[in-house]
Parts: sequence; structure tokens; C-alpha cells
Amino acid sequence: MLAMDQGVVEEWLSEYKTLPDNAVSNYAASLKDKGALVPALYKVIRENYSDLLEPVCHQLFEFYRSGEPWLQRFALQFLPELLWSLLSASSARDPHTSGCIEALLLGMYNLEIVDKDGQSKVLSFTVPSLSKPSVYHEPSTIGSMALTEGALANHGLSRVVYSGPHLQRETFTAQNRFEVLTFLLLCYNAALSYMTPSSLQSLCQLSSRVCICGYPRQQLRRYKGISSRLTVTSEFLVQLITGIHYALCNGDVEVGSRALDDVLYRAQLELFPEALLVGNAVKSSMHCAALKSNNKEGARSIQVEITPTASRISRNAVTSLSIRGHRWKRHDAVDLGSPDELMEISEMDEGVWPGLTAPGDAAPPTITISNSFTTPSLGARAMKKCRLGGRTSKDKEAGPAPGGRAASESVELSVKRLTLTSSQSVPKAGALSSLTRTASAVFSRSFEASGTPVPNHLLHHHHHHHHLLHHAGSDAGAHEAGRYSCSMQEEGLGYLNPGPNHSPLSTSISVHLGPDL
Amino acid sequence: MTARKSGSRLETEIERCRSECQWDKIPELVRQLSAKLISNDDLGELLLAECKLQTYLKENPIKQGASPRGPRPNLLEVRKHLTAALDRGNLKSDYLQEASLLMAKLCYVEGEYRDALGHYGRVSLDELQLAGAPVYRLSIIAESYATKGLCLEKVPTASPLLSNNNTGSPALSNRTASERDQEIITCYEKSGDIALLYLQEVEKVCMSGIQNRSPKPGPAAHEQELGYFLETGLQRAHVIHFKNGNLTRGVGRFREILRAVETRTTQNLRMTIARQLAEILLRGMCEQSYWSPMEDPPTVSPLDDPAQQGHTHSNKTYSLSRRPRLYSGENLFCPQENTEEALLLLLISESMANRDAVLSRIPEHNNDRIISLQSASVVYDLLTIALGRRGQYEMLSECLERAMKFAFEEFHLWYQLALSLMAAGKSARAVKVLKECIRLKPDDPTIPLLAVKLCIGPLHWLDEGECFANMVVDMGEKAAEFRAKGYLAAGLVYSLKATDASLRGIQEEYQRKALGAFQRAQSLSPTDHLASFYLALQLAVSRQIPEALGYVRQALQLQGDDVHSLHLLALLLSAQKHYHDALNIIEMALSEYPENFNLLYTKVKLETLCRGPEEALLSCKHMLEIWKSFYNLTNPSDSGRGSSLLDRAIADRRQLNAMTLPDFSDPDTGSVHATSIAASRVEQALSEVASSLQSSAPKQGPLHPWMTLAQIWLHAAEVYVGMGKPAEATACTQEAANLFPTSHNVLYMRGQVAELRGNVDEAKRWYEEALSINPTHVKTMQRLGLILQQLQRYSLSEKVLRDAVQVNSTAHDVWNSLGEVLQAQGNAAAATECFLAALELEASSPVLPFTIIPRAL
Repeated sequence: MLAMDQGVVEEWLSEYKTLPDNAVSNYAASLKDKGALVPALYKVIRENYSDLLEPVCHQLFEFYRSGEPWLQRFALQFLPELLWSLLSASSARDPHTSGCIEALLLGMYNLEIVDKDGQSKVLSFTVPSLSKPSVYHEPSTIGSMALTEGALANHGLSRVVYSGPHLQRETFTAQNRFEVLTFLLLCYNAALSYMTPSSLQSLCQLSSRVCICGYPRQQLRRYKGISSRLTVTSEFLVQLITGIHYALCNGDVEVGSRALDDVLYRAQLELFPEALLVGNAVKSSMHCAALKSNNKEGARSIQVEITPTASRISRNAVTSLSIRGHRWKRHDAVDLGSPDELMEISEMDEGVWPGLTAPGDAAPPTITISNSFTTPSLGARAMKKCRLGGRTSKDKEAGPAPGGRAASESVELSVKRLTLTSSQSVPKAGALSSLTRTASAVFSRSFEASGTPVPNHLLHHHHHHHHLLHHAGSDAGAHEAGRYSCSMQEEGLGYLNPGPNHSPLSTSISVHLGPDL
Repeated sequence: MTARKSGSRLETEIERCRSECQWDKIPELVRQLSAKLISNDDLGELLLAECKLQTYLKENPIKQGASPRGPRPNLLEVRKHLTAALDRGNLKSDYLQEASLLMAKLCYVEGEYRDALGHYGRVSLDELQLAGAPVYRLSIIAESYATKGLCLEKVPTASPLLSNNNTGSPALSNRTASERDQEIITCYEKSGDIALLYLQEVEKVCMSGIQNRSPKPGPAAHEQELGYFLETGLQRAHVIHFKNGNLTRGVGRFREILRAVETRTTQNLRMTIARQLAEILLRGMCEQSYWSPMEDPPTVSPLDDPAQQGHTHSNKTYSLSRRPRLYSGENLFCPQENTEEALLLLLISESMANRDAVLSRIPEHNNDRIISLQSASVVYDLLTIALGRRGQYEMLSECLERAMKFAFEEFHLWYQLALSLMAAGKSARAVKVLKECIRLKPDDPTIPLLAVKLCIGPLHWLDEGECFANMVVDMGEKAAEFRAKGYLAAGLVYSLKATDASLRGIQEEYQRKALGAFQRAQSLSPTDHLASFYLALQLAVSRQIPEALGYVRQALQLQGDDVHSLHLLALLLSAQKHYHDALNIIEMALSEYPENFNLLYTKVKLETLCRGPEEALLSCKHMLEIWKSFYNLTNPSDSGRGSSLLDRAIADRRQLNAMTLPDFSDPDTGSVHATSIAASRVEQALSEVASSLQSSAPKQGPLHPWMTLAQIWLHAAEVYVGMGKPAEATACTQEAANLFPTSHNVLYMRGQVAELRGNVDEAKRWYEEALSINPTHVKTMQRLGLILQQLQRYSLSEKVLRDAVQVNSTAHDVWNSLGEVLQAQGNAAAATECFLAALELEASSPVLPFTIIPRAL
């Protein structure tokens, strides 16, 4: 590292410390004029052993904590570089070098997951629906095309949580690492328009390296850093793709498309459907855009031309619109596919399979562990975590506080105290016992008599029974869904949270409407 | 104010034809008109000029981007008509204005831009009345603004026409240049607004015409075409904004156009613009730089080219006396976030693209089909990007299902549908679609591998899985890096089949095949930790402990913090009875994976052995705390659909934990049998019945958290049973039973407690009930066998135990019990063999079965 760079960084370090409070926003605005500073800071982060790394991380955290948007964005632009430092250090199993970077990233994470009042932040958005009028459309003109299972289940706008609430994190573990990093990338992506070209480039580089290190493609890219494989998650890759997509459209096309290829390569090897899905879509849509305009300027590739407004499709071609008035003969519709087969599939997908994500979700009753330790108010906790730098690293070396163990007043696990508040409202065993008893009686008789090891007929019976239940349920559900949507219209509610009851049932509707596979 | 004379049928008819652009009828009408009054001659000239000019433009349309080329002989007549009308000057002022505007248009068509601008200067466009004007007039005004803009763009900037106010300064200052740019844009924006108004009005007139069954209905399917000038007026303003790098104003203009109530003619335009705006929102904006359509745009935005900032005014600089109608009403949905707006726009474009899907497959329509496919694919790709960002895979899969009408032989759409189904957890359907993808692209090894992943994991379709895995293996060298994965997949299928098999011979056959496949995978890809790990796991299952240890160490060298490798290492150490070492490994693993319940279960077992039950109980309590903090937090009540990013993340982790759980806990046998899966389905169905019997049971939603909770309680119960405390054990079991009353694990635990209390008959009853739910639960079979032996029903006991050995031949305590029964029956030789087998197996028996470690691709 050159002495000049060092000087620039040191000046930056001391300048902010002496800044009076009312000068902060002017200072923030003036930061972008310091041309030599940003490259110098990149160097500091890349050279893990630099003495400046710790004070730089500390100051970046101070920037982030200030709440001043421009200071936050200034700190955020280094996120890709910081992530790469952290990941490459953790793969080299050299935890000491990345201590202050870890602390900085955890600090940013812990700040971002709470709102101003210290409450856990929940990021949500509204899923628009064509069945509700908007500033851009009127439902009646859309026609009846949208009347599908999805439209019925979501008749109206639903608010969906896409991130949060998240837990405060004191340290990085293998388990939470990507959860934290994915969330940080989400924050980065929310500020993409403010990121500099060098930051975007750094993001693409990070994406490439994370995805190819340790795989044969590393040779192809001639990257000679670490050579061990880094674990990734599908969600992390999806966030990377979002950033790459922006970089592709607003920055370096070459670096961007290489990064996208590398992410897709890894997603294929890992068999990640989410990353493959989004990556393929980006690639395919960029392909179309590239055909339209082949600009090498690296400028914004958002280009719009005057397009003919007349339909490009000839009048006499049969389209879905023109076919709508056509009357089908009845027997045609029946022959579309074998409904039995589809029905069977839908059943499998409805989470009858245990341990799978069942669609729909209801809040579980809260479980109170009455002798659990009172958690300190979040505000205080957040404050504590904000203290960063050498201290935090020291705390970490001391090892994580031994949670509840030390304070546990008695060894005896008192069942009474670990009360499940939900238990009152959950079915009692007695309610079912008669059914079970009959079944088991049948079983033990056949068992004693013949000694068949696996009484299959019994299972069949149950299975069949369940099947019937399922069908009965579907009808009821369809009915209920209908009623529900009607009441929606009457009351004009803008918000619908489809009850969990509906979810296992709606599929039977889809079976009839779905395309013939 | 207007030129309309009420009562004159002829004039109304002329007005209607002009509004609806039925130029072919004008000459006849003019003939009728001049027959009435001589003074109508000038009007006739005007009408003929207009009709000839429009007809000419219809026959020789101006192409976008092309410049008009000089005077045309065909247009001489037009000029003659117009000059005649203008020179005589007898027309009413309205008509006179129209004649001037037509003259200007003619000048433009002939390339005389300055002349055209001169005409516009005389008419003063801004003073023309919009309110109450006949419909055709709106069109003329809109076209005039567009033409004026076109002319201004053509005329060199130093034109004296424009620098009237600062005469004499040949050097053009920046200010005037930007003022001029502004003037051009304003022309186009006004033109666009008035054009939208015109189209809305025309449609209104048409509709009322149809409703009133007017005596002279126009051609039924008469469709308005915009023509060059209106198209330019509608689109040129935002094209200039984007060209200048002024995204803020471009987006603003897009929104203005889209907010105007649609007409039949603007549908295609809206579809294009909606898609373009969505593209910009997804490619060029982020959450922080977004502003809602109802808000004022930010004064300084990172979206705009900094060089342009300050030069152009970001606010609207003109006003019109009449504007196009906008969508309005109560509770209009207005997006508040860029993804929301992009989604809304894409859903609108999608519904239109879908409407235009060309269904016929005859060759003549090939081109149309390609066009409709392309415009739809772009929309579906953007939808995928938007919904993928927000983790809404379920909704995405529904959207992509709608794309299937385009998808015949289109690999991209099929593949995207398959992936979205997979991401949405609709596994069975995903496999069906993947089959079609394989047919379309048989050389891609990723696709069958994705299918195996589903078959091994959520579906447990092992035969299908084997078939897919073999496809990859059969590709040989062609599969390149995926070849090793193919062997790995095959190995996993065989390994799972071995666990399912109920006959020992078949079991061993599959184990052998699995080992072979894993070895192959490991040799093909020695740097893949998964290959080494699964090889180690398979060796462990067949009780080759030292070899397994070697490979698991290798796996850990490649991937030091892999949770399953660490877990396997701990279990292997426990099989060698190095309980303390095993516990150390588990604790190390837990420091990296503090919330992994599988590790915690093993920890409880090891602690019972090393440190006594009190420690184990503390761990159980700790697990309950983790469970609480984990699932309490991640279940916000307002999440409408359960496939957000976070839900997905949890689901993935859950799957890891859940691999062993199809039979929800099975802490003891661990092995996932086909029968036990069936049992757990029965169990779940029964639980559903049970909860529906209860009036308002809240136990809904994802089952996994509840299974985990029940399992924690059962572990606690087991520890209490070990301590000889039946009351506490009963209480714990009851907690689990509250969640899953008909679980065979709960019933088994009840039996254990009953045994502890000395109620043999009651215990027997519980065990029998457990077996009625899951007939292959080995632990239960073993206990039942023992009780039957106590009751001196030896042959039945022997039968039960032999069945148990068939199910799991490595359960040493079953062999032991079998030995005891045989001994009691006086069959000493057989008993000895059983005891020996038990002894041998016990020496390599882990604290929990190796198969609790999930096997997934």
C-alpha cells in the first residue's frame, strides 16, 4: 500500500471524528468529490493485514450508524468487497484476519433488522391483483381470463412478508452466515441506484469467485486466490443475481455477463431451482435486449424506441381471444387429460407428505416457557451491539455467554413450568382413541391369528379413508372459498389473508382448470 | 364556438366520417354539400384536401425514423385545394385554422419544415379550444403538435425563427438550447395527451353509435389506426427523455400514458409501455430510488444523467384545458414499491399477451406465433425476475402455468415452469414437467438431476429416481462435471432403497450397489466433499466403521464445517464407544450450528451416557428455548402466502432436518421405511380428523415445527424413563400427545412409561396400538417381544422379534431379545447364534442410527 493512499485514509479517519454534528450532512455530500479516497479504502479492505483495517471498519460502521443516507450509502458501496474478504478468510480457516470485518457486517445487520424504535423490522409488499382496480387498470376490461385458482385464492390484494423478522446475531456461525449475508445483500440491492460502477464491478467479481472457486471453471477464469469450495445458498445466489442484473443494465456488460454465467454454472451444479429460475430469466431477457441494441458504451442500456401500435398479429390467426367465443362440444372438454392422475398428484403436493412445507401458514400459538430469562429490551440490546471495533472482537474471544445454562436455578426439568399455552386448544388424544382402538383391535386380531408381519389391508383402509376425507374436504372448501370471495366484495376489504383451511383444497379447482399436460 | 350547426344532417355526417377516418366517403358528401349552397365551396376544398392527404398517407405511410422526401406529384392537388381555401379566406375561423394546420402538415410531408413552422406560428396552437371541440378536431390538434415537434427537431438550432427574443446573437447559449429541447418535448407531450383524449372520445362516440343503433352504422369491425403522427406524438416525448438519460421524466411520462383510461386502439401501446416501464423499474431502479406514481418525483435522482441535471425542468411545464380521462374511483391500488409496480404492470401486459396467444399451428401463422411467443416470453421472464426477488414462487408457478399455451416445443418456458414448480414445493408436478424438458433437451444432465433431487427428497419415488439417475450415468463423458453427480444420485437412490427393503437379501444387494456408485462418484470427483461423505455414510450403515472414519475425515478436510460430516463423525466415534470424543465433536458442531435439532438429539443421547440424565434434561430445555425463539419469530401473522424468501430459507433448513422425519421423529429406528411413511400419512390424516373434531384447533400451517416440538418432548420423556421417573415422563409424553395423539412414537413412549410402572398389560396394549399405526417400528416390536416373553407366549414373541430383525438386521437389542426367547424355548444353539450376533453388532452400534443423517441431493 502506498504512503499516499495511507495518508488519504488517515486524513479521512481523523476528519470525520472532529466533525461537529451539524456539519455531517454537508460532509456526506462532499465525500464523493474525494477521488483518491474510495480506491484507497478498497486497497485497505483487500489487504487483510493492514493496520488501517480495524479503524476503517470502525469508521464505516459509524457512517452506517449515523442514519445519514449518504454516509450509509458510502459505507454500503464496500459491501461486496467486505463479503469477499469475509468469505475467503473463513474458507482459509483463518478467523483472526476477518475479526473486524465480521464485526462490521454483524453491526450493519443488527442495525438493519430493527426499525427506529428497536422493533424487529418486517419487510413486506403487496401482491397486486388484476381483480382490484388500480391506477393503471380497470378489472372489467381485463376480461375473465384471470379466473383461476390463484385468482380465487387471492381475490384482492394480499400483503406478503418477504424478509424478516430476523434474530439479532452476536457471532457468525456456519448456520447463520448466509442468512446474515443474504439479508445484507438485500439491503445493498435496495440501494443499487446509488452504487458506484466500481462497487458494481466488485459485486460481479464477488459473484464469480464465490461460485467458481474450487470447481474446474476456476482454471478457465484464471483466478488464483483461494482454491477451496465455498458453500452457498440458493437465496444468496438470487440476491447476487439481482445485483448482477442491475450491473448488466447499467454498467459493465462484460463483467456482468461473466458473473451471471458463473452463478448459473454453480446453480446447476448445486441444483438450486430458485437461482436457476431467476438466472435463466435474466439471461433470456438480456439476450432479447442485446439483440435490439448492441451498445458497447457501457452506459445505461435502457433504451426505448417508438413502436408500432397496431397489432403485429394477423387478423385471421386463431388466438386465445378469438377462440373465446367458440363453443366447444362437451365431450371434448372431458377428454383433455386423465383427471385421476392429476388428482393424485395434487394430493401429493398438498403437504400430505410429512415434513414438507405445507402451503398456507397460520401463526402457531405462542409457546411460553415461563421460567425463561426475561430478555432485555431490544433497544438496549441493539445499543450494546452497536459498540464495535476492538471491544467486540475481544468479547468474541471470551466466547459466547453461556446462555441460560449458568443461571438455571434448578437442574430438574420441571414439566409444569415449561407450559405449552397452546396445549389446551390442541386435540386431545381421547377424541380419537375410539377410532384408533377399533383399528388396533382389528390389527391385533389379525396379528395374533395369522402373524402377518405387515397388515397391508389396514393401511389401505386408512389410506382410502383419508382419500375420501380429502375429497369431501375439497368440495367444502371450494364452497367456502366462493363464499369468502363474495363477502370480500361486499365489504370491500383491501386485504385478504386466505385462511389455511383453503389452501389444501384449492388444488382440486386447479385440476379442472389447469392446462392439459 | 363550434362549427356544428344543429339540425344539419349532412354536417353531422361529415363530422362523423372525419372522426372515424372514413375518408372514402368524403368526396360524395362534398358533392352533396356543394349542391346545397355555393358558399360551401371553400369548405369543400378543405374537406377534399384533407381526404386526399389522409388517403395518400394511408397508402404511403411514413416510416418511423425516415425523413419525408420533397414534393410529391400526388400532393399537388391537395396544395391546390388548400391554397384556394386559404386565399379566398371566406371560411369560418375554425375551418380556416384547420386549413392552415393541414397546410402545415402538407409542408412537413414534403419536407418544408420552416414553412410548416410558419403556418403553426400563425395559427397559435396553444389557443385552440379543446373543450367542446368536435372529435376530429382533437385529432387534428394532436397531429399538429406532433408535427410541430418533428419540424423543430429537423430545423437547425440556429434558426432565426426561434431566436426571435434574443436576436442578433449567433452563438447559441446553453440556455436557449435547453429551452428549445423543452419546447420540443412539450409539443410531443401535448400531442400525446390530446391524442389520448381523442381516442377516448372516438371510442365513446362509437359505443353510443352502436347502442343507439344509428341508421347508418359504420363497418362493424372498424378499427382505428393511429398513423405516423399520433404514434409519434404519443411516444416521442419519452423516447427523448430516455435518450437524454432523464429517467425520472421518462418514467413520469410512461405513467401518465398508462394512467389514462385505455381504448381499443391504445391496447397494444399500453402493453408495450407497461412492459417497458416494468423493465425500467426492474433494471434501472431500486427500492431507495423509487417514487410512487402519486408522488412528486425527487428533485435529484441518481437515475438521471448528472450532465443533464439542472438543465431540464423536472416538473410539468404546460397545462391543457382538457385532459384525457384517468382511472379513478375509490380505493384505487397504487403501488408503493418498485417490485409492486413492476408486478402490476407485468400482470396487465401478461393478460394482454395471453389474449394474443396464437393457437393455430398451421404454417401460414408461423410468423404470428413467433411474435406472440416473443412478446409473451419477455413478459414472463420479467415476471420471473420480479417474483423471484420477492420469493413468490407459488404465484410464479401459477403465472407460468398460464404461459403453457405458448409452450409447445419451447424448452425455455417448460424449464422455467418446472423450476418454478420445484421452488414452490409442487414436487410431483415438477417431475412431470421435467420429463417433458428432458424430452426437449435430452443432452442436458442438469434436468434429470433436478428430477432425482425431487424423487429422493420430498417425493420418495425411488424407482423413478433410479431411472433419472441412470440417464445421467448413461450420458457418460458427455455429462462432464455432472457425471459424478449422476453416480452420487444413483448411490443415494440405492441407499434409500436398501433402507426400505424388508428382505435382507435385497437390502444387501442395494447396499452393495450404493457403495459401488458412491465409490465411482468419489473417484470421479475427489474434491467433492459430498461424494466422500456419502461413501462414509454408506460404509457406516453397513458397519464398516474404520473405513467410514477414513472417508468422513476426507470429507471434513474438503469442507470443514459441513454439519452432516461432523454429525457422522460423532456417531462413528460413538459406535467405537468413544462417547466423550463424540460429545466433543457434537459440541463443536453445535457451536457452528446452534439451532440444528438433529445434532441436539444426538447430544441428549450422548450426555445421558457421559454426564448423566440431568445434563441431558438441560439440553432438552435448551432445545425448547431454541424452538420457541426460532418459530415464534418466523411466523408473522400477516404473511399472506407462505413462500417468502425467509419461509423458503427455513423450509430448506427444515428439509435438512426433516429428511429423517417423514415418520416424524423415529428417534430410535431412524430409518425411513416406506411403511413408516405410509404410517405417518395415516397419522397425519388421523390428526387432521382429530383437530377437526375439536372446535377451533389452531394447529395448522407447516407441520414441521410441531413435529420438532413433539420430538423434543419425547426425548425428554425418554430421559425421564431412563431416570425411572414415570410421572414426569408421562407429562412430557402428554405434551407430545397433545400435538400428535396418534403418533406411534407417542404410543410407544406411553408403553415404556407403563412398563416402568409395572403395568405389563397396559404396556402391551400401547405397543399394539403403536404397531397398528406403524407395523415396522422396530423399537416397539422389540419391547412387545419382550413383554410377550414375560407373558410366556414364546412363539408369538419369537415371531414378532424375527419380523423386527427382518426390518432392521443391525438392531443388536432385538437379536439379544430373540436370543433370550429362543433360550427360554430351549433352543440353545440358535440362542447362542443370536447372542453372538447381538454382541458383534453392539460393538459397532452408534448411539443413534446412522440413518438419522439425511440423505439428499
